[in-house]
Amino acid sequence: MKKPRILVLRAAGTNCDLETADACTQAGGAPERVHIDLIRAGRARLMDYDILVLPGGYSYGDDLGAGRILANQLKLHIKELRNFVRLGRPVLGISNGFQALVKTGLLPVAHASEQTAGFTANDSGLFEARWVHLRLNTQSSCLFFKGLPEMIELPVAHGEGKLVLRSPRQLEDLKKNKSIAMQYVSDDGKLAGYPANPNGSVFNIAALSNPEGNCLGLMPHPERYISKFQHPNWTRQTFVKAGVGLELFRNAVDYCRG
Amino acid sequence: MPPPAQKNRAPAALDAAELAAVQAHFRTLRREPTPAELETLARAWSEPCRSRTFAGPVRFNDGRKTRRFKNLLDETIVKASRRLNRAWCLSTFQDGAGIVAFGPKWALAFKVEAHSHSCAIEPHGGAETGVGGVIRDVIAAGLGARPVLNTDHLCVAPPDYAGPLPDTVRHPRRILGSVVSGVRDYGNRMGIPTAAGGLWFDDAYRLNPLVFCGTVGLLPAWAVRKEAKAGDLIAAAGGRTGRDGLRRTPGAGPDGNDASAVQVGHALNGKRLLDALLAARDRKLFRAVTACGAGGFAAAVAALAGGRGARISLEKAPLKAPDLAPLEIWLSESQERLLFAVPPRGLDAFAQACAAEGCETAVLGEFTDTGRLVVTHAGTPVVDLDLGFLSRGLPRAEKAAVWTAPKPAGAKAPAREKGLDQILTEGLAHLNVCSREWVIRQYDHEVQGGTVVKPLQGSRHDGPGDACVIWPHAATGDSDDFQGFAVGHGLNPAYGRLDPYRMALACADEALRNLLCVGADVSRAALLGNFCWADPDDPEQLGALVRAAEGCRDAALGLGVPFISCQEILRNQSADASGKTLAIPGTLLVSALAPVADVRKSLTMDIKGPGNALYLVGSTAEELGGSLFHQICGRCFGCAAPAADPRAAAAMFKGVQAALAKGLALSAHDLSDGGLGVAAAEMCFTGGFGAALDLDKVPRRSAIYSDAVLLFSESASRILLEVAPDREAALLKALRGLPAKRVGATMANPVLKVAGLDGRVVMESALSTLKSAWQDALPGRLG
Amino acid sequence: MSDKPGLLAAKAPSSLGSYVVEVNLKPEFADAAGLTALRMLHDAGIAAARGVRVGRLYDLRGPLNLGHVHVAVRELLCDCVTQEFRLCHGAAAASPNSAERWRVEVWLKPAVADTAAESVRAALGDLGMPEVAVRCGLAYHIAAKCGRGQLDKAVARSLANPSIHLILVHEDR
Repeated sequence: MKKPRILVLRAAGTNCDLETADACTQAGGAPERVHIDLIRAGRARLMDYDILVLPGGYSYGDDLGAGRILANQLKLHIKELRNFVRLGRPVLGISNGFQALVKTGLLPVAHASEQTAGFTANDSGLFEARWVHLRLNTQSSCLFFKGLPEMIELPVAHGEGKLVLRSPRQLEDLKKNKSIAMQYVSDDGKLAGYPANPNGSVFNIAALSNPEGNCLGLMPHPERYISKFQHPNWTRQTFVKAGVGLELFRNAVDYCRG
Repeated sequence: MPPPAQKNRAPAALDAAELAAVQAHFRTLRREPTPAELETLARAWSEPCRSRTFAGPVRFNDGRKTRRFKNLLDETIVKASRRLNRAWCLSTFQDGAGIVAFGPKWALAFKVEAHSHSCAIEPHGGAETGVGGVIRDVIAAGLGARPVLNTDHLCVAPPDYAGPLPDTVRHPRRILGSVVSGVRDYGNRMGIPTAAGGLWFDDAYRLNPLVFCGTVGLLPAWAVRKEAKAGDLIAAAGGRTGRDGLRRTPGAGPDGNDASAVQVGHALNGKRLLDALLAARDRKLFRAVTACGAGGFAAAVAALAGGRGARISLEKAPLKAPDLAPLEIWLSESQERLLFAVPPRGLDAFAQACAAEGCETAVLGEFTDTGRLVVTHAGTPVVDLDLGFLSRGLPRAEKAAVWTAPKPAGAKAPAREKGLDQILTEGLAHLNVCSREWVIRQYDHEVQGGTVVKPLQGSRHDGPGDACVIWPHAATGDSDDFQGFAVGHGLNPAYGRLDPYRMALACADEALRNLLCVGADVSRAALLGNFCWADPDDPEQLGALVRAAEGCRDAALGLGVPFISCQEILRNQSADASGKTLAIPGTLLVSALAPVADVRKSLTMDIKGPGNALYLVGSTAEELGGSLFHQICGRCFGCAAPAADPRAAAAMFKGVQAALAKGLALSAHDLSDGGLGVAAAEMCFTGGFGAALDLDKVPRRSAIYSDAVLLFSESASRILLEVAPDREAALLKALRGLPAKRVGATMANPVLKVAGLDGRVVMESALSTLKSAWQDALPGRLG
Repeated sequence: MSDKPGLLAAKAPSSLGSYVVEVNLKPEFADAAGLTALRMLHDAGIAAARGVRVGRLYDLRGPLNLGHVHVAVRELLCDCVTQEFRLCHGAAAASPNSAERWRVEVWLKPAVADTAAESVRAALGDLGMPEVAVRCGLAYHIAAKCGRGQLDKAVARSLANPSIHLILVHEDR
């Protein structure tokens, strides 16, 4: 069976592209790491790919707010992006990629032509690299979540990951649309404050998906948990879980295979 | 020839002997040196570019006899490492970065660099450029390496230091915060996990903090060798050249407070450069590469040219400002620049590969076979120097070094007896022991997804790991290859204040112990030495440095583990607020790198469960000089610094490594600052299980009659193992002939309980108390 | 420090535009950088400091008009969800000996490379802007009843570093 082609989009300052491509390969996909300038120059085409992944990093240095310049580049130079999402092809934005998707207005609601959510500095005022517990929205139609348990663990690593919304009413819309894909929780599954919620995001939101469920953006890094040996507790005898991050990629690949 | 100073400015770095050598050389040429030539020589021969002291002649007197070294480094550490002649050492004591084999297909390049006074003036910028500089040296190792790990060690004054400071120096709390944010901002942006490091606090670092930045890079085995050929083009790539990189603007005031002395790193350009370099490397588009660091283009061209020659047209260099003078272009140390030797046929492809990553290139000239360095600017001659004279013309003046063993400090009885539990709690809360979590969480220590043994360990991911284990699968692209490597460190200036020789032995021992505890193959380890000292013209300072170098030599020979690179920065002394000179304590950082055959068999240090045995391997003596115990209780009991025995350690490491490879232990932790007490407490509160220890069972070299000594002595080469009951017999068999004894057992009850020599319980502390002391110390003192 | 020294190497001719944009987090959002700055000021001896908000400053010079600046702000400099902006006008505010609210501008000295500005310049070019010179800075809005001299000293010891920064202290309107 043909492997789905996965575009791992790179830009200056992207730095999680290698391990993200590795996760795509292990999930059964055929990833290509492509620099956005190549698409801009017409030497690669988004529509030739089945899946788009925006990996983490510091695109363009992030000096103007995380993902801002990349978002502009996406809007200016990858005009087919909206169409790609509308056609239902899977789009995954991780960390910096998530921030860029929000700033293009593709998340949380792909139909919106303008940005409706944003990010500010973590409440701690510090970069936070730590593992978090996440509760997945089992009501969500997100294609990346198929077969996943309700509670998972993944690492986060960011300084500007506090998700904020334009208005309180918007939160109700997000709940109604089942757009809140993941929330930071304590180890017993409850919404909790720092450090369970590493950045202070509103309603502990860690990930957003579009209502159709084919576009997912998340602050945690699934590509850093594709093998059990990446978990901080793998040397402890009680530990049995395998690399759950890989499942997100596998679901996207399986979805494309039909 | 009149001294050039009268005609022009004085090239500040040339002393009288050097000036005489230059004059003699130019007399044979029947002309006078140009100002640019004098500057070039001064820079090339200056301490940052050349180990003038460490690789120079020294006359050493240790009170009994006098010895002469023609080249101190060569005749101690390099010689020892050569004698060991390890086949996996592929490139040593060249380039800065040492290169070792990593399986048949790969190699690892490792370099650690120290930065000092610039970090007191502008800590954020100083740390950024420090990290950026060492990364660039590693990505330019061989034909280019991909960085897979960063390390950071900081030596600073306590953050709540309350004494006076000169106006130009930042407060230690600001220095610590800004240095950490500098390391973070550059390392995180480059996508390199900063997963190994440490903190050491001492008032004497308040004017000259030390920032040790290290990088490990992965490169294919075929890319280890590089050599420029005559006819190759000299291409610059990366950032533009500007005035921002002029350490000392020619003609301007001395180094100091002016903005041009401070550089700012640009991680985004650094990342572009890395991506461009690796793309060009994999297409084999160049024959050699080097980083532009201290000495700018001048030093980089000379380094790449080797004994050949080079012709440079400075007007071709891309500039930040159009009005840079030729000499400024030649010597600027602007960041994020690399210099390549590109065969002419491949130039277009090379330029395109760089452009694809947004990285600018320019051809500055070509390599020749004339043996001369010829530099012009728009046709005007700037420099015409014999490369042989540039590299070998520096006259070496012998420096005097003396070593007087300090009088054995008398043991004073402690002013007031503290309980063992109080000593332990204070020890865990000591700045040099306490949790570094505040630092570690700010570093993206898991980017690249290869940090399989993390700096923070245990059930709640917050205990102190001995070393990190990196599985570079993202860089190798092979997730079925479970080969990895570990990096550990040893640093203890408190021992160095008593005896730099013992400090060196202890540091090497500790670095390897750390590796051993995570399951690395220490028989294939390689060591780096970073020496930070005060004034080398002071015979006592230099004598201490000689002692440290001899310690490294004996450690290498005894342990059978070679050094692959050494760096020094000297003159770490400054005038304090009252005008008195304050020197740092002689500081040696030993960094160790070793392969881990299968990362899936690595160990962590957290207690894994109740009912397991605790084995102490290695013998204890009454060695409390420089110890944590002395800092808490004052001088009492044995006051000499721990004397490591590298040969005995090698035997013990071998036995323990074999036992760990058989999976006989559940966890392993090394005993260092605070000895058995601190090590056991850390294992317990990290794992969430208690333990009972029996001090009477501790293996010892000599009679010890004090519970405190057994609990807190810092004798080297000791490791605590947690062993499942059904493995004890096998463990003892594997460790036959070594000092190893069952000293206790783990339990569910979350306390650390210690039975003294008389059999009574002499200490019982709740793990929660111990852990919060350890965790709250640094945040508390940061305010 | 009554007037702002020329931040750019060459003074822009009068026919060219020169704008300083200040971008602040909207008041409804917690300002983590402001809290950090507040702690640093307390450390540096301004016990009276009650609050700090941190804004970003962009000094844009070149052949551009107000229309350009608004595009730059909307598309690049100011996040429409989290931030708000204002244009700073030439006349410098008073710099009295004591006040209750202060505004402190911190700019890199001209000799220090401004790496963020390089990114801004490139991104503006992408938006089709004319070639402009850019410098980036920070604006601290400090609520603290204190003397000017005391604040000068504290800022130089905490929020900024005189060896690389230009520091301008004014009363906040």
